[in-house]
Amino acid sequence: MLALTRKKGESLIINNNVEITVLEIRGDQIKIGVNAPKEIPIYRKEVYEQILQENKKSAEALDAQALNELFD
Amino acid sequence: MRANTRIFGEIDIPEEKIITMEKGMIGFPDLTHYTLIYNSEKERGQSTIMWLQSMDDGDIAFPVMVPTIVMPDYDPVVNEEILAPLGELTDENTYILITVNVPSDIKKIACNLKAPIVINTDTNRAAQLIVEDDYKVHFPIYDIIKGNKERAGE
Repeated sequence: MLALTRKKGESLIINNNVEITVLEIRGDQIKIGVNAPKEIPIYRKEVYEQILQENKKSAEALDAQALNELFD
Repeated sequence: MRANTRIFGEIDIPEEKIITMEKGMIGFPDLTHYTLIYNSEKERGQSTIMWLQSMDDGDIAFPVMVPTIVMPDYDPVVNEEILAPLGELTDENTYILITVNVPSDIKKIACNLKAPIVINTDTNRAAQLIVEDDYKVHFPIYDIIKGNKERAGE
């Protein structure tokens, strides 16, 4: 992983069209600003991971019969 | 398009029934072709379970449902730019589904209201996205489904 040190107000540019700025530092919390084209989805990683796990569990559905019985 | 599936055996789906998800489902970026399988013709589009079957990996099939079955006022705010590649969406061609999580104990069945699948039924292009609204990733639905059935049976 590339590690870069930034101060408050400094930015990174990724791929010419994504800008990440350190907006505020307060204790162990850092406020980050992201400027990116709107078609690029930006998600909090813990939410993304939760969805990923839920999708994986969904795709493993084994008991189609119990499911059909519940709905029919 | 043919696929050998875990649940439905060998299937052969005409091109016009193939749903393309350019970015795949979240966690499944390489699986981009799907088809919707209904339990029976009469249930098409009705209040029941459907399967979003991957055509690229027959082992992968997501049970899905229309969200309004369990939440009649479900109305997430979606990022239109993310959906732009699906083609122009209208009230008529927008079909929203949510995934269902079916653990071995059916009473713990839940759906994911936080990451709907949006399908453009004109272009057959679809995407799963995460909405900002305060909807649950794991929303238990057993009692709701039971309640709906009991009301329907009255």
